[in-house]
Amino acid sequence: MRRTVTIAVAVIALGASGVGAYQLAPQSAPTSAHWREIAWPFPRDGWPAGRAFRCEGDACDGAELYVRAKRGFCNCDSGVADDDEVDRVADLDLITPRFVAAAPGEVVQVGELQGRARRYDLALYDGARHAAVGVALSRRCDLFVAAAHGQGDPNAMQRAALVFLETREMKTWVTAALDGT
Amino acid sequence: MFRCVLTAAALVLFAGSTFVHAQKQTIGAPPEASNMKLVGSNDLQARSAYQPTIHHQGDRWIAYIGHHGGTDDVPAPVNPMTGNAEANGTSIVDVTDPAHPKYLRHLPGQEGKYESGGAQMVRVCDGKSLPKGDPNAVYMLRTFGSEAHEIWNVADPANPALITRIGGLKDTHKSWWECDTGIAYLVSGAPDWRTRRMTQIYDLSDPAHPQKIRDFGLPGQEPGSTGAVPTELHGPISTGPNGNRVYFGYGTNKGGILQIVDREKLLNGPKEPTPDNLRFPEISRMPMSAFNGAHTTFPMLDMPVAEFAEDKDGKTRDIVMIVDEAILNECGEARQMVWFADVTTETRPMMISSYTVPEASGQFCQRGGRFGSHSSNESMAPVYYKKMAFIAFFNAGVRALDIRDPYHPKEVGYFIPAITQATDKRCIPVEGGERCKVAIQTNNVETDDRGYIYIVDRANTGLHILELTGPARAVAGLPKN
Repeated sequence: MRRTVTIAVAVIALGASGVGAYQLAPQSAPTSAHWREIAWPFPRDGWPAGRAFRCEGDACDGAELYVRAKRGFCNCDSGVADDDEVDRVADLDLITPRFVAAAPGEVVQVGELQGRARRYDLALYDGARHAAVGVALSRRCDLFVAAAHGQGDPNAMQRAALVFLETREMKTWVTAALDGT
Repeated sequence: MFRCVLTAAALVLFAGSTFVHAQKQTIGAPPEASNMKLVGSNDLQARSAYQPTIHHQGDRWIAYIGHHGGTDDVPAPVNPMTGNAEANGTSIVDVTDPAHPKYLRHLPGQEGKYESGGAQMVRVCDGKSLPKGDPNAVYMLRTFGSEAHEIWNVADPANPALITRIGGLKDTHKSWWECDTGIAYLVSGAPDWRTRRMTQIYDLSDPAHPQKIRDFGLPGQEPGSTGAVPTELHGPISTGPNGNRVYFGYGTNKGGILQIVDREKLLNGPKEPTPDNLRFPEISRMPMSAFNGAHTTFPMLDMPVAEFAEDKDGKTRDIVMIVDEAILNECGEARQMVWFADVTTETRPMMISSYTVPEASGQFCQRGGRFGSHSSNESMAPVYYKKMAFIAFFNAGVRALDIRDPYHPKEVGYFIPAITQATDKRCIPVEGGERCKVAIQTNNVETDDRGYIYIVDRANTGLHILELTGPARAVAGLPKN
């Protein structure tokens, strides 16, 4: 019961502080995109698996989004300070080791988490080229990262992904993942 | 019957009290020890401590101890010698009499808390050993937070004088300095590199006039590269011109890599940081499990292994001891521990053994703070080299290992200091808040040529000087005490 109340309080606090807070999607226009959860597609690595989703509908149709917590980040005070940090931690390398930044990154905030997001061009193993966005957010000494990729409009994909991360369900999960629970 | 019940109840109570004692450290309780004993201590002004280096200068023994930045509660502790609040930097302690260490000087570091400030690392070379050094000088190389490396003349350790500063960096870490050549492998964050930490190689044979030799790292970290970025450097250890090898450890608690590099090719090969040039001096690299990092890569070459004494080949082995660093409190990650790699056939290094403290021996996952390894002693003085290794194991204190057979390392002693009023708490998130515990966090260990063992605490408990007792002394060939 206490746990439920605590989570509810956390959700309300996160929601209150995070409404419309992210800067990459300032016009958080309603989107009809639905992110359907799929199996985590990557082999085990140093961090526990996260969650994976596929976009259905809207302009991000077919895009995939991977999110997970990475607990134990050395930059406890400075947070995600630069684009190189996004290159290193945002899990683009799970999709393919061959990615090139398409533009300088930008400051982004999701709920209480602050960090950076950056767009990339990916060269996949089958020769296909995808657009991608990597997001790295920090909470003290922990990171939350997201990577999305697809063949559609990268702006629409990024906007839809960030709107999804702002949902109550996702923010609750992110808090729990960063708490290690 | 009633007596039996009473006895059983007493046993249960005793077992319970032992369990509780094992889990939680309390102020006033004695240290926990086996075959090691406390000789002396110093509180280091309650500053969070990282790397200790013990240097024999003249007829004195001086400990130079690097510090992390301050804490949220005390960002800049007061130095009682000056009365001023000073950002954590370097403690300089005369340990000539290890039973009565004398604090000489605190040299402030970069402002900032925890990993973001202080002056965590320190190495020391005599001017008379450096090819172009002032023979009357003793040089201390230290990091200055994340922004610079500094060299100080500490010939008078109570009154250091700044000689050189190499700045403009985005990070620093555990460097290596060859005192006979002056070549320094400075762990730096060059602003244009894609990794937080790489190597800047300098000729510091004349500390007043540093000469840059080259930048070095793993292909993919260099400026202008794209794609996945390999794990960042933690620190190198060189065997100098005689051994002609540098052992680089990448990763901290994840995705570790041991890289074996030809020193001559590294120093004199093509220097432009292209992928080909970065690969040129590499002899081999050994990727570790994604669960573990390579914090310390300590070479012990040409070790005779008794078990192989009658074999026609392979009687001696080249060994690298690899120590991971635990990062998360209360076992929030995969166990970080100690690994031994046989690198005799350099192009095919192979992990041969491992060591960890048994968690159940102290319920260390419940004690608070980090449990797992962090670092080893790095002294190659004959007293312990290739015989014993000392491992800082955070809340499990320091562990003394018999490594004469590196295929079967054995623990032969340990020491977990008592906590004090100065010992800082360690917290984990729980249900929207946090829960904190207080426990020793032995962060680093070093030894001196006399055989004393110096351990320092990340949670502000200070410096403890130890010696071996009992059977552990025999392992090192020390006389009985």
